[in-house]
Amino acid sequence: METTIKKVAVIGAGVMGAGIAAHVANAGVPVVLLDIVPAGATNRNTIAETAVEKMLKADPAPFMSKRCARLITTGNIEDNLDLLADCDWIVEAVIERLDIKQDLYKKVDAVRKAGSVVSSNTSTIPLDQLTGGLSDAFKADFCITHFFNPPRYMRLLEIVQGPQTRADAISTVSAFADVRLGKSVVMCKDRPGFIGNRLGILWILAATVEAIDNGLTVEEADAIIGRPFGIPKTGVFGLMDLVGLDLMPHVLASMVGSLPAGDTFHILNRDLDLIKKMIADGYTGRKGKGGFYRINKAGGGKVKEAVDLKTGEYRVSVKPQLASISAATEAGKKAAAALLAHPDKGGVYARRVMARTLAYAASLVPDVTDSVADIDEAMRLGYNWKFGPFELIDSIGVDALIAILSAEGMEVPPFLTAAVGKTFYKVEDGKRYELRLDGSYAELKRPDGVLMLEDIKRTSKPLLKNGSAALWDIGDGVVCLEFTSKMNALDPEILKLIGQAVKLVPQKGYKALVVYNEGSNFSVGANLGLAIFAANIAAWPIIEEMVEGGQKAYMALKRAPFPVVGAPSGMALGGGCEILLHCDAVQAHAETYMGLVEVGVGLIPGWGGCKEMLHRLSRSKVLPRGPMPAVAKAFETISTATVAKSAMDAQEKSFLRETDGITMNRYRLLADAKAKALALVEGYAPAEPIEFRLPGPSGKVALEMALGQFRRMGKATPHDEVVSMQLAGILSGGATDHTEVLKEEDILALERKAFMTLVRHPGTLARVEHMLLTGKPLRN
Amino acid sequence: MAAYKAPLRDMRFVMNELFSGTTLHQLPGYEDMTPDVIDAVLEEAAKICEQVLHPINRSGDEEGCTYENGVVRTPKGFREAYQTFCDGGWTSIACKPEFGGQGMPKLVNSMVEEMICSSNLSFGMYPGLSHGAYVALEAYGADELKQQYLPKMVSGEWSGTMCLTEPHCGTDLGMIRTKAEPRGDGSYAITGTKIFISAGEHDLTENIIHLVLAKLPDAPEGAKGISLFLVPKFLPDADNTPGPRNGVMCGAIEHKMGIKASATCVMNFDGATGWLVGQPHKGMQAMFAMMNTERLAVGVQGLGLGEASYQGALAYAKDRIQGRSLTGTKNPEAKADPILVHPDVRRMLLTQKATMEGSRALVGWVAQALDLANHHPDPAVRQESEDLVALLTPIVKALLTDLGYEATNIGVQVYGGHGYIREWGMEQYIRDARIAQIYEGTNGIQALDLVGRKMPANAGRSLRRFFHPVAEYLEAKGDDDDMEEFVLPLAKAFTRLQQATGAVAQKGMVNRDEAGAAATDYLRLFGLTALAYLWCRTVDVARARLAEGANGDAAFYEAKIKTARFYMQRVLPQTGALFSCIMAGGASMMDFADHEF
Repeated sequence: METTIKKVAVIGAGVMGAGIAAHVANAGVPVVLLDIVPAGATNRNTIAETAVEKMLKADPAPFMSKRCARLITTGNIEDNLDLLADCDWIVEAVIERLDIKQDLYKKVDAVRKAGSVVSSNTSTIPLDQLTGGLSDAFKADFCITHFFNPPRYMRLLEIVQGPQTRADAISTVSAFADVRLGKSVVMCKDRPGFIGNRLGILWILAATVEAIDNGLTVEEADAIIGRPFGIPKTGVFGLMDLVGLDLMPHVLASMVGSLPAGDTFHILNRDLDLIKKMIADGYTGRKGKGGFYRINKAGGGKVKEAVDLKTGEYRVSVKPQLASISAATEAGKKAAAALLAHPDKGGVYARRVMARTLAYAASLVPDVTDSVADIDEAMRLGYNWKFGPFELIDSIGVDALIAILSAEGMEVPPFLTAAVGKTFYKVEDGKRYELRLDGSYAELKRPDGVLMLEDIKRTSKPLLKNGSAALWDIGDGVVCLEFTSKMNALDPEILKLIGQAVKLVPQKGYKALVVYNEGSNFSVGANLGLAIFAANIAAWPIIEEMVEGGQKAYMALKRAPFPVVGAPSGMALGGGCEILLHCDAVQAHAETYMGLVEVGVGLIPGWGGCKEMLHRLSRSKVLPRGPMPAVAKAFETISTATVAKSAMDAQEKSFLRETDGITMNRYRLLADAKAKALALVEGYAPAEPIEFRLPGPSGKVALEMALGQFRRMGKATPHDEVVSMQLAGILSGGATDHTEVLKEEDILALERKAFMTLVRHPGTLARVEHMLLTGKPLRN
Repeated sequence: MAAYKAPLRDMRFVMNELFSGTTLHQLPGYEDMTPDVIDAVLEEAAKICEQVLHPINRSGDEEGCTYENGVVRTPKGFREAYQTFCDGGWTSIACKPEFGGQGMPKLVNSMVEEMICSSNLSFGMYPGLSHGAYVALEAYGADELKQQYLPKMVSGEWSGTMCLTEPHCGTDLGMIRTKAEPRGDGSYAITGTKIFISAGEHDLTENIIHLVLAKLPDAPEGAKGISLFLVPKFLPDADNTPGPRNGVMCGAIEHKMGIKASATCVMNFDGATGWLVGQPHKGMQAMFAMMNTERLAVGVQGLGLGEASYQGALAYAKDRIQGRSLTGTKNPEAKADPILVHPDVRRMLLTQKATMEGSRALVGWVAQALDLANHHPDPAVRQESEDLVALLTPIVKALLTDLGYEATNIGVQVYGGHGYIREWGMEQYIRDARIAQIYEGTNGIQALDLVGRKMPANAGRSLRRFFHPVAEYLEAKGDDDDMEEFVLPLAKAFTRLQQATGAVAQKGMVNRDEAGAAATDYLRLFGLTALAYLWCRTVDVARARLAEGANGDAAFYEAKIKTARFYMQRVLPQTGALFSCIMAGGASMMDFADHEF
């Protein structure tokens, strides 16, 4: 999509400002990053420059590729304000002080071009105060754009417009944030904390004081206000450790000053000596000496400890033992209801915290927004909740929530009363609606260019379906292959469905196929549990069938008489990476992490991954000519289990082609992939079979020498060597030489043979077992 | 009464030819266990079993134990036999030298156990329970407790018990009610009632050391809140001789179907003084150390009784003349042919022989693995051996007690009416064998242990220790035409086992009742396949020996090959039926509403 924003400026190179600048650069847009000149500095740009340097080393990386850093022009606000002259959007992210901000706005207003948009990343100062005393023209171009930390990874952007803000200023920034920055934009009213912080802070506050008042341990609290409610397992104390305890007093103070009397916040808020003392002693969380949890390394050990909320002393962390927690675990998907109904103190805690929080969410309509969907989106994307508060209320039931509130003596907000007998969301004729304050339902429409599989699934039946995969008609003659297995692990059922889909598409007159799903990860690879089970009972033919079945399925996709486009988001590892390598084209979400990581479990890519990497690297424009460089590079990439840290990085590492597309907004991925597939339909012919010329044993010797070096450096373990030697055998082409032409099937046969050798090796079985039991690789 | 001769030839075969008995002395700690030392031990064990224990087996059954005012008397001759048993050092053979034991390998000990069980299971219960208590105390007790109690338990002066079961709970020990109150001086006051306590009270030893499961006041609910305590019948004095009587009394003894000379007691603990063994609330852990040893020992009981019954039946079948052979007279000098001529009698005898010799080989395999697990210098070998023992323990317990029971039942059938009357002792074997299918975890529980615990543990690693050697064996023998008649049936059964394993795991993951419904059949399928593998290996050894000239022992090896053939053709096909049952799933049982039964 075209955008009118071609250049951006960010003023303030702190964590947020620098992160926003990096993410604008990730979008391929030039960005100016300015900060003040520190007193006595010899390098007047030092703050901005240092920020960029730091970000190049940071993990998780703010940049999707280091080369993005070149798009940032650094400077200072004394000498370089002229750099703002051609910027279309100027983001202010300086210290939260009104006088400083207003002073800066005046300077900016003097140099910016007409029609440019200025926004503040403030989280605490109301918009009308920010623009007070500024020109009408400035007010018309001004809004608040509130990013979440870290800006690259957090998909929520809250935008607040003032009464005088131009509508097209908002639409310009929204469109840019959506399409180029990949953000989900939520419009908020000019109220303290907007949606995310207003609700999130109340939730944290409620969870903290209720834990203290009800005598729960931090482990118990986090186990309750965590997984059972679809909230990340860090719960609330773990979350505070993550964001930093020292942030809390500031945030709370700003709320104290800005929220009206009578707000639930004031009922809960009080001085917590424990937290004060922890901050004063340097226990500010993970960035400090530890927080509510710490790893005590005294005495050479690694002991996880937690703070006793009563004494403030650290003690060894213990697994929570409450009956309510066991009940929640046993209830599976109904964990929330089981907790809320439980009589023990864990149940009391769940009721007091969640009822308070959910009721507060309801009280934000219409104060902060008119849309429950926006509140849910804010909590999902800003706090990584799996379900928004209104989705949670719908699952608990409005009546049940009101009953809990009454029993706990808490106020029932009017919107909740209005919702009695209803749900906040409903689906009718396949369309989604949200409840409004007046009791009517408003349809929830997707923006243009957004196509969601969940919508298609709600309104249609699959063309094909089994226990692990499904095939959907997504319109215009395109079908979508969806993985539905646990963690989207690839298994024989998926391979079977691929075979069926390849036949069905031409038979039923479809034109193209997209491989896509809406899981948090595209696929983390083959189902190892199945493989090791078969290996444990020596069912080798079953394993060989799985290897061959995968090769055949992926080759069938590749040779199919219609275009196949892969559309990954999140992790695409092992077999999940290999299926993408076999697609005609890939449209990847920017946050896609591809890699052939099989060596981590003592195996090699056996579904054509070696073959496809050899081919891609042999066409690389960067590598020298001749058969050996591609072989050596493929060996390096696979033997070290290299994982690309973004789609852009995947292109640099040859997992993706230069011609493959990148979509910044997760919601737009399917539509983009579909468009890419349709563009390939006319005159489509499957790729010509690849012919390989490989070095054979002499090449293997060369790889062996490289491996020897790794070993001497202590980087390769004994079993790494076993696996690497098998890999070297495949990549060098087996018993061949330059004069011989090998077919794709020849390389696949080498993969199969090596895979079957390794899967019988005790070292490999130990690795697989360790991965399944601990989730971590074994370095044997 | 049927005679008993210890099957020393077959035991030597299992130890020295099939497994690594000949190389046991190469393991650290077993330096003295050379084949001739071991051989002498077995010879001596055979003597005491045949000459001392066997003669009082039937009389002990007739007389039983008697109870009067808290005092339990064992049948006539037991006290003397026990004294001889202790004097011979038989209570100490599998115990550690530091406590006065002889440190014999498990492989040897299991053979001795088999002889004891064959000759007099009731008698064997007393030292057997002591050994279980020894194992738990040795593994988890504090040093002081161990120094005080273990030497006397090892010498047999004091005996031991395991007090687990209570009137309202056996399998589900999480529900126990026996309490342990700390006294503040390191000791605890134990109060509660335990039932089914073997050797809980008797007149064989001067003191009895009870290991008792009880709950501390702050105990978490369920099995995670159980602790183990040592409670002596008499509190030892400063010089470690029995002093004042402790608050533990036998309230009654049970009247049972079998093992009548073994006292099965109700034990009342009334503020009895005890000491904690191991960590608070970790009693189940200590209990399992003992239980695993005991489960193997109970499997051996099935083997021992089946072997004794086979010997009785064989002698009778050769001796008893009745009718003529279907294909013409075989014994013209007499008025009738011995019943051994009849195919059906041969079927019965060979079923006993093939299953019992196969069982002995299985015990040998597991016992050897235990020795490797405890003594091998390479941690990888120790781990693999531990895995194998863990996997096969429920199979040894359940399969061997089932096969043993079936063998004793066959023994009575061979005897006809004479088997049914008490005089020949054949029916006693059935009654004695019956309990082994029940105690130390019923065979149903063993099957659940196999499918529910052992199969999924460590991502299924334990399975590998059985499936891989068998698969490798089958691959290696694939082209050996001479072995085809043995290898092919094994391959068939093994494929069934692989498929059933996959099916049970897969269905069981979705619905645990499916795993439960398949468990018992699955365990037997697994066990019969394991025996088939061992029979193939037995044939390999026998053929090799015969090729070498057999050194005058050709008949033994020929019989081994023929028994293997019988096993493959007439026993192993059961796996087909078991496979069908497993694959049919559990719906036919679970669809039943309670009122439709």
